[in-house]
This record gives sequence, C-alpha cells and structure tokens, in this order.
Amino acid sequence: MGVDSALEQTVEKILQNTEQQIVSSLKEALKSSQSMLANSQTSLEQEYDKILAEGKKEAEKLEKQIVGNADLDSRNKQLLLVEESIEKVFEKAIKKLQDTDRNNEYSKLISTLLQESIDAIGTSDITVQTNSKDKSVVQSSLSKFPGATLSSDLIECLGGIKVQSKDGTMKFDNTIDARLDRLKPLIRKDIASKFGR
Amino acid sequence: MSSQGGVQYSKIAEIKGPLVIVDGVESVAFDELVEIQTTDGQRRLGKVLEVGNGKAIVQVFEGTTGLSISGTSAKFAGKVMEMPVSEQVLGRVFDGLGRPIDGLPDPIAEKFIDINGEPMNPEQREYPRDFIQTGVSVIDGMLTLVRGQKLPIFSGSGMSHNILAAQIARQAAVVGTSDEFAVVFAAIGVQFSEAEYFKRSLEESGALKRSVLFLNLADDPAIERIITPRVALTVAEYLAYDLGMHVLVILTDMTNYAEALREISAAREEVPGRKGYPGYLYTDLSTIYERAGRLRDKKGSVTQMPILTMPSDDITHPIPDLTGYITEGQIVLGRDLFRQGVYPPVNILMSLSRIMKDGIGEGRTRADHQEISNQNYDAYSRAQEVRALAGIVGKAGLTGVDLKYLEVGDGFEKEFLTQGVDENRTIEETLGLQWKIVSLLPKNELTKVKDKFIDQYYKEQ
Repeated sequence: MGVDSALEQTVEKILQNTEQQIVSSLKEALKSSQSMLANSQTSLEQEYDKILAEGKKEAEKLEKQIVGNADLDSRNKQLLLVEESIEKVFEKAIKKLQDTDRNNEYSKLISTLLQESIDAIGTSDITVQTNSKDKSVVQSSLSKFPGATLSSDLIECLGGIKVQSKDGTMKFDNTIDARLDRLKPLIRKDIASKFGR
Repeated sequence: MSSQGGVQYSKIAEIKGPLVIVDGVESVAFDELVEIQTTDGQRRLGKVLEVGNGKAIVQVFEGTTGLSISGTSAKFAGKVMEMPVSEQVLGRVFDGLGRPIDGLPDPIAEKFIDINGEPMNPEQREYPRDFIQTGVSVIDGMLTLVRGQKLPIFSGSGMSHNILAAQIARQAAVVGTSDEFAVVFAAIGVQFSEAEYFKRSLEESGALKRSVLFLNLADDPAIERIITPRVALTVAEYLAYDLGMHVLVILTDMTNYAEALREISAAREEVPGRKGYPGYLYTDLSTIYERAGRLRDKKGSVTQMPILTMPSDDITHPIPDLTGYITEGQIVLGRDLFRQGVYPPVNILMSLSRIMKDGIGEGRTRADHQEISNQNYDAYSRAQEVRALAGIVGKAGLTGVDLKYLEVGDGFEKEFLTQGVDENRTIEETLGLQWKIVSLLPKNELTKVKDKFIDQYYKEQ
C-alpha cells in the first residue's frame, strides 16, 4: 500500500509538472504568437502604406505625364493653326504689294531706298538692279543720284532695288522682298496678336 | 529690329579653319551677326571676332566646309545675334543656334534678346537661397541645389552623367511654393542617341511642357557649340526675369564647348595656354557661369548645372579646374562607384555644395537637414578609412564599432546613394534614409547631431 501511494504521488507530481509545463509553454506560445501578430500587424500596415504611397506616386506621375502631353499637343495644334493663318495673311499682303500702283508715292519710296543704299555702301558710284515693273520709276529717280546707273539685267522681286558698287565688291539688297523678310518676325507677332495670341 | 539690311561684301581674303577673313569692310562692329552666302545660294551664320585695317575676321558657326574664296560673300547684319523669346518657347526643341527642329514654326517672339546677355549688376544680385528638389537623394540630402546657384557635375567619359542630367531635368521642382518652374536643357556636342534620349525622356514624363531643349549634335559643326549655351541662357533669363519663373539650366557637355573654343583659338593663331586652351578660357567660361543668379526685385531665378567630362578623369585638367574657381561647389562622379554599378555614382567626399546651408533647414527643408548631412559625411568618411584598414588587417582585426562603420558604408552606397533612374524621392524620404543609415551606429557615435534630433529620428536597429 505504502509503495502504491508513493507511486501514485510520484505519478501525480509528474502529471502536475507536465501540466504546468504545457500550460506555461501554451501561454508562452500564445504570448509569442500575439507579439508576432502585433509585429506583423505593424509591418503589414507599413507595407500597406508603402504600397499605397507608391501607387499614389505612380498615379501622380502618370497624371502629370498625360496632362503634360495633352497640353503640349493642343498647344502645338494651336501654333500650327495660327501659323497657317499668318501665312495666308502674308500671301494676301504680297499679292497687294505686287499690284501696288507705281504712282508718285511709289517713286518717293524708290528714291528713299536709293538714298539708303548709297548711305549703306558709302559710295554713289553704283549699279542698280530692279524688276521689269519698276524699271521706269527707278530710271526716272536715278536722275537725282549722279554716278548711279541702271543695269539692264532684271531681277525677280516684288519691288524695290538691289544695288552694287561699280567694282562689284559690295552689294546691298533693298528690295521689298528683303525688307519684308527682315521684318517678318515682327509682322508675325502683330498678326498673331490679332488672333489673340 | 530694323527693316534695313546690311551690306554684302564679296571680297574674301582668306578662309582659315572656322574663320573667314573679309576684306574692304567699313562700319562693321565687333560681335556683329554675319550671313555667309555660298556660290550655291546656301546661307550660314557667323559673327565678327575682330575688326581693323579694313578687314573683319568672321567666325562661321556652321563651319567653312565647302566654302571657297571666289563666290562666297559676307553680309553684315548691323546687329548682334539675337534670340527670339516668348512663353511659347516652353515645350519646344531647338538646334544649337536656336532654330526649331521639332517640325513646328518659329515661336512668335515677344522680344529679341542679344544672346550675350546683359551683365548682371553685382549690386542688384541677391544671395542664392531656397531649395530646388531634384528627387535625387545624394544631391538633395548632401549637395543641395539652391535657387540661383551654379553647381557643376564633374564626370568622366562613359559615366552616367547624361542619365543623371535627364533625371534631374524630369524631376526637378521647387517645393512649398506655387511659383512656376522651368528647365532649359542645352546639349552641347552630344551623340544623336543621347539627344534622342533627352528628348524622349522629357516627352514621356510629361516634363517637356515646362522645358526648352537646345540640341547641338556631335556631327554639327563644332563652332556652333560656342553659341548653344548662350542661346539657352538667353531663354532662361527671359523666363526667369521677365516671366518670373525659377529656371534650372542644364548644360552638357561643357568640355565640348571648351574644345570648340580651343579650335577657334588655334585658327586665330593665338598663343595657347594650358593644354592648348586659350588663355582667356577662365574669362570665357565665366561669361557663361556668371549668368546664374537672382536679382533683387525680380521673382525668378536662374540656376545652373553645367556638366563636364574630365579628360582621363583628371580633376586638375584646365576645364574642371577653371570651372571650380567660378562655380559654387561641384558634384563629382566616381569611376569606382560607377564600376560597382552604383547609380548615381556620386563621390560625396570629393563633392561639395558651397551654399547648401542657405537653402536648407527649418522652413526650407527640415531643421535637422544640415546636421544629419554632416553626420552622414562623417560616417561615410570613417567607413572609407575602416575599409582601407580592413584591407590591411582583415575584418577580424576590426573593433565592433569599426564593423558598424563598414555596415554604414555599405548601407550608404546600396540604400541611400543607389537610386532608380525613375525614382523621384521627396526630401522627407531622403532625410529618412539618411537617419536610417546613421541609425546603424550606436547613439554615442552620432556627434554631429543634437540630442533632440536623435530622440526624434534615431531608429535603433
């Protein structure tokens, strides 16, 4: 009996110890899994925030890209349309210049152009070239500029004159075409402003 | 602009390299624009370099190939070279002389400005301040770019400076203000593929809308390169001082510019200076770099980021050497880092942004910016020393703290320095990374930052 009781006590003790150990490890496991859960919750949240932030960044980038390109495309189309209209205005202006009457006013203009050319070249010993339409006007204006002669070679232009020194080393282009060319950037701006640009 | 044109002279005395010497000229001015006409009616632009004894030396921008003494004439325009400017230049692509190459018409000009610019009155200059965010951590965090600053990038042949330049052009922005921002990008003597890359990169990111591109290609006449930075800066000055924008000008590659200058100098038979560059290289470079800045009572600013490749990676070469005298610091790209695959391979120990302190801190970036940057400099420099030591005694011979510094060195290069080509980091992210790197060290090693910042940002690892 004594032996049995001692055995029972021992078994009881072992069972109690084992139970305690199991409970303690269960508690520990619970604690550790709770802490792991809490930790992973934080890192999960961080990961989630990171993904959201990256997604937001990507979306902003795409928005910027799409809006930027669309703005640029529409601006470029506007530019082409304005340019087309400017060209039309120029065409009409050139046509008008071609058809200008070679009257007294025009004769004064030729004289001014001749004086300008002589001043630029620095000599009145010059040869003048012009188109067929202006030939007579230029010829009559030359009487005021001794040393200047009219060349028999005709040039293609809207009007005005081309001048060169007698030795041929200096030339001065004072045709309406050349003047128009030089002023084109300023005229373009004026025309564009009429279109509200 | 006048309707009256200039006189055309047909007496060409000599054609020498990129120069044409015209004889019998009168009333011609220094720097005057010249139109050279060839026998087949082709027109090339040039400018007067010297006048005297009835002769004018003309530098032809588009080169003199194919020109002959007989049949060539020079028309003096009676004005200096001007760049037509207006807001319409934004989003446009021009060649090295400022002519559109994007298939669109000439922009309608608001003004015509002399490309040599007006000298800035030193009294009117305002000290550069405020931060420009490039989105590149190493620049924003440790070599901060400040509005109105001139901060060059010293690179070497074949390194990733052009990729970095394009990234900065795409990402750069002024933060915390509604002021408008623009980028003027001048590519000087670059390859066609590089020019395409710059263009595509800006187009695809939508940044072209606020950019102006000037592309001078490697096969364009070298002489054009003299003009490219000047037209780019003229546009930048207009955008900044007339339209009130903050403008970042990226000039790549200034070495090609200096080579072109050397070519002209040789053709003019001038006495060569160091490595054949003209003695006035310093003065000439300063006429470009000094066009950066801010003006009192003007809203905008011009910030410059010239990029130059150092021949044989030699930082004592005349181009980086003289550039360094004029600019306010430098960002040096390191060959070793580049070989390790680090992008951007910025060697911070050789780099410096001299006026960074005026663009950062509370109200601009963050209060701890300067201190955390100093701490990173300190830690990385120590890491380099420890690396050298480990090379001799081996890792086993290092102390625990030394090993921590090794970790810091690696972390700095892999996490902070290394960045994706499309990765645009905010200044908060950059500063966060800097704290992450130094947090690898024990707290008592952080001697450059105040305790209050350590308490706030240090993350024990």
